[in-house]
Amino acid sequence: MFKHILLPVDGSGLSLQAADIGIELATSLGARVHALHVLPPFPAATYFAAIAEANETMYIERAIAGAERVLAEVRQRAQASGVSSEGSYVIDNRPDCAITVAVGKYQCDLIAMATHGWRGIERLLLGSVTQAVLQAASVPVLVCR
Amino acid sequence: MFKHILLPTDGSDLSLRAAKLGIELAKTCGARVYALHVVAPYHTVAYMAEILAATEITYTQDATARAEKYLTEVRHMAEEAGLACSTDYVFDDRPHEAIIKAAREQHCDLAVMASHGWRGLTRLLLGSEVHKVLLESEIPVLVCH
Repeated sequence: MFKHILLPVDGSGLSLQAADIGIELATSLGARVHALHVLPPFPAATYFAAIAEANETMYIERAIAGAERVLAEVRQRAQASGVSSEGSYVIDNRPDCAITVAVGKYQCDLIAMATHGWRGIERLLLGSVTQAVLQAASVPVLVCR
Repeated sequence: MFKHILLPTDGSDLSLRAAKLGIELAKTCGARVYALHVVAPYHTVAYMAEILAATEITYTQDATARAEKYLTEVRHMAEEAGLACSTDYVFDDRPHEAIIKAAREQHCDLAVMASHGWRGLTRLLLGSEVHKVLLESEIPVLVCH
């Protein structure tokens, strides 16, 4: 059955709930998990480049610290369930692309993610990232509410 | 993990492939499966009622026969895997509502379905029924390609 489950997390409560379901499934299947956090790049404006540059370093530092917090959270949950886990973050302004690339890179055979993350409107719309992943993914996607 | 898996099938190859994956997952988890086929009811129009009444019977008979055929196919797959499988078909205009209702009534904790059925354009769009199920479902949905 599934051997390596990709858990894209944006840090929202829903994404962590989905990660929990992925971890629980991994426990019962004896699978490994890989948590992935995608950071949007700093939207640098072309003018005020010098100011933007200084801010960008700060932004990236903060974003990476945030990413590591989220990934540590997932790692902790996986460890608590005795599931072998890894985690990584990537900087990409198209999370869906980063997720599908990660599937190939880490040879995952299932993606477990929430219906929407921070950006989605509460259940009225399917999150745009989830929808894009559903269309582009080459492996099954477990969509959790 | 999952104890009762709902397998909505419209009889298309993709939906049968999804059912197969659901059965495999059920086997690993020790779950039961419930296959559901939703039949679109025959829409009568107000005039030419007598002619239509005759066609409706044929339509319903054909649709029921097709439903039985699809469900038998899923039941065979489940039996081969040594799984307990119940099946049912319902007449409903809105398949996603029938699917969600069945999930609730049968206490399913996972639905496994294809990214699109007969009606969806190959991979270009997410099937409309899947989309609606994802939005309203109270349980996780495993979307297969």
